[in-house]
Amino acid sequence: MKYNTQTIRNIGISAHIDAGKTTLTERILFYTQRIHAIHDVKGKDGVGATMDYMELEKERGITITSAATNIEWKNFEINIIDTPGHVDFTIEVERSLRVLDGAILVLCAVGGVQSQSITVDHQMARYNVPCLAFINKCDRSGANPDRVIGQLKEKLGHNAVAAQIPIGLESHIDGIIDLVSMKAIYFDGEYGETLRVEDIPGPMMDIAAEKREVLVDAAAMFSDELTEAALEENIPEDVLISAIRRGVLQRKLTPVFLGSAYKNKGVQLLLDAVTHLLPCPADVQNHATDMDKPDEKVVLTHNADDPLVSLAFKLEDGQYGQLTYIRVYQGSMSKGTVAMNVRTGKKVKIGRLVRMHANLMEDIETIPAGHIGALFGIDCASGDTFVAPELNLTMTAMFVPEPVISLAIKPKDNKSQINMSKALNRFTKEDPTFKTYVSDETGDTIISGMGELHLEVYVERMRREYNAIVETGQPNVAYRETISQLAAFDYVHKKQTGGSGQFGRVAGFIEPLTDEEFCFENKVTGGSIPTHFIPSCEKGFKNCIVKGPLMGYPIFGVKVVLNDGAFHSVDSSDNAFQAAARGGFLQAYPKALPEIHEPVMKVVVETPTDFQGSVMGSLNQRRGLIVSAQDEGTFSLIEAQIPLAEMFGYSTVLRSMTQGQGQFTMEFLKYKKAPQAVVDELVKKIKSAK
Amino acid sequence: MENSKLVIANPFSKMADRNEDVIKEGHFGAVLAGAGIGKTALLVQLGLNALLAGKNVLHISLNDPVTKVCIYYKEVFGNIAGQNPSEGIASTWEALLPHRFIMTFKVEGFSVPKLEERLTDLIEQNIFSPNLIIIDGLPFDETVGPSLNALKKMALDKKFSIWFTVTTDPGEEKQSQGLSPQIAPFEELFEVIIQLKPREKETLVIPLKGGSDPENQPVLVFDPATLMLKERK
Repeated sequence: MKYNTQTIRNIGISAHIDAGKTTLTERILFYTQRIHAIHDVKGKDGVGATMDYMELEKERGITITSAATNIEWKNFEINIIDTPGHVDFTIEVERSLRVLDGAILVLCAVGGVQSQSITVDHQMARYNVPCLAFINKCDRSGANPDRVIGQLKEKLGHNAVAAQIPIGLESHIDGIIDLVSMKAIYFDGEYGETLRVEDIPGPMMDIAAEKREVLVDAAAMFSDELTEAALEENIPEDVLISAIRRGVLQRKLTPVFLGSAYKNKGVQLLLDAVTHLLPCPADVQNHATDMDKPDEKVVLTHNADDPLVSLAFKLEDGQYGQLTYIRVYQGSMSKGTVAMNVRTGKKVKIGRLVRMHANLMEDIETIPAGHIGALFGIDCASGDTFVAPELNLTMTAMFVPEPVISLAIKPKDNKSQINMSKALNRFTKEDPTFKTYVSDETGDTIISGMGELHLEVYVERMRREYNAIVETGQPNVAYRETISQLAAFDYVHKKQTGGSGQFGRVAGFIEPLTDEEFCFENKVTGGSIPTHFIPSCEKGFKNCIVKGPLMGYPIFGVKVVLNDGAFHSVDSSDNAFQAAARGGFLQAYPKALPEIHEPVMKVVVETPTDFQGSVMGSLNQRRGLIVSAQDEGTFSLIEAQIPLAEMFGYSTVLRSMTQGQGQFTMEFLKYKKAPQAVVDELVKKIKSAK
Repeated sequence: MENSKLVIANPFSKMADRNEDVIKEGHFGAVLAGAGIGKTALLVQLGLNALLAGKNVLHISLNDPVTKVCIYYKEVFGNIAGQNPSEGIASTWEALLPHRFIMTFKVEGFSVPKLEERLTDLIEQNIFSPNLIIIDGLPFDETVGPSLNALKKMALDKKFSIWFTVTTDPGEEKQSQGLSPQIAPFEELFEVIIQLKPREKETLVIPLKGGSDPENQPVLVFDPATLMLKERK
């Protein structure tokens, strides 16, 4: 087993849907001899690309589940995570980025930077992932790599600079000029597997020299050695590569590569770039949090001989049980050793370890620091940290947004009921943004997640993978109740029905709290409520926020201050004080001017400019606050803030309004007070449901 | 209530009569300076001043992306609010947002008919009706004349005022009233012209034309570090 982290690259391939990342991955697997035949995503041969292995993904032509795969390229080991392209599955993208050291941002030479690319780019910035750009589909009619580089600069703020230029474009793309080696490269053979390196064609020499100068100027910002070499007009290749690499690692330079995965052009050069320019695990500083000192960050060593620190970032149900994808940051995870799950405190024995190649696997003995692998037979959740038993470290908690939409589902028959439970159990473990519970009122199973499509895909997966047929209700928005002013309470709970009675008095106030669900403060002095009953009071108050008295939605943002009370030496009990707290809360709540808050989404619509006016109108009609309109020539980007409740079915509306050319992305932004008309409507709905 | 407190604390309000706009409906204003001196930041402060006075502001940028313009507003608002800390500042910001609209165009893609079409869309659909427009990055070259005339007509018809940024060359020869050659030919279209001049650690705000009471106007300086305009003590 090789332990040299210098020759490891953990990379992700992030892109807009349809930018062709699955085809690109497929070609990478082919050239690295992981597969021996090439299939298309929407394959005419019915086989489908290897990384895109789920049936549903094949049908829709999109990637939903990340699959990790390991390849070798010129003595480098590259672990690739294929990330999903749709914004509704961003937790998958975020999880992938968390464990990656670098990424390839794939862009379409025709479509360029689209709204999804912006979201994905923000995520890369959040996790500080250095990246290269690959402009794919240069063979398509309308391909314009220069325009895409311009968009990378303007829309994403990247210091993007071409590292290659195409020889011909659209259907005439013949090869690629590498601006580092200043050579023309052609891709011969049935699948472009044979590289033919030649001198740059005469007519292209000037443009190549001009573009190289731009590349050298950009890279010189990161290397004095390169600046000096440039002055002497003798730039060794390795000096230029090392300068570009420095810029990439600092996320201050994005070299742009190009080609056409579908036409087998440029993929091998991209692989070279990955090995030359993206960081190895040792180039990236990873931190863990010491559970004993939560404020202190511990820098991990990347040393395979140190105690183990690893992160389970993805779960899948395979035919041999749960498969857990794991990234080892420090130490090694070896078969037969013991590791501790920091979340549960349980020690587990490491059984079978594998290295994944899409849905095929290879047994291995050890996963050393810096590597990604998978293990069998471990019961854990996504995001769990596994460490050597003597450590108490956790990897930084991943940012997990709260679900904003829910849907009631009913299994069609008993068999579906059993299968549905199995499916939900797996999905909730795999995806922290997907949650499920049983409604106390209706007895229905409720699933909640980040968007309509997110939930639709899980319902579909239940049917396909688990044969669980479920009927779905109308989607429900996750409204919240909150209070808007301080209100006092003074409540006595007294019950005398024979036998020992119940007595408890609580007094204090409730007040609004920002950014926190609930907070309880005990200011009782003089023992008016005995200390051992204070937790009872807190529990009583806390139970009240689960379901708001106003409309039954959960309450968010309430601080309860308890400052007085009374007890009875015989009749006071845990139950009596819980009941008193409930009474006190209900007494104060109406006086605290409760409000209903609704989730507001950040919506970015991309539309041909001709339809800008009508799209703005459609957003405005949906109680949207239009923040900006960005005119990009033939198309425009409109950003708006719109309540989620108004966004159901918007994709259909947008498609028909823009002759199928408009698209939008949506992500949770904030909770905001719902207008009275909406609240009245909700009241009506609740009443009619009763 | 909160808004007016912030207006008082904002020295821009001193450039005009109390409770009056710096420029009125149909009027043009221009901020002249070399590249990187702070024209955008100054206009953002002016935009915020109008927003705080309850006006609708349309910010058109031909150079910067939407995100950058948003950051300018947030930073300048943060600085204004930082000088007047009080509870409810967050809700003031939230309340201002519906009154601001940002549009970006590529310089080569911007034209007055296009802007008019967009504006008509916004106004007719009751989405947004500006009282003040800021146009940042319009190149003041030999071809700008017809655009300025068309904009003037639009401003008078639709009853809004427009502020422009004009990038000057520090080495260029000044025309009458100290005006740079970019704006001198169109001087009569502008009611207010301000120049930003860097001096050591601060930037002087020099009124070249207009202002309600030039004699009694305070000496204003622009602090590039905080992007804030302040009165020189």
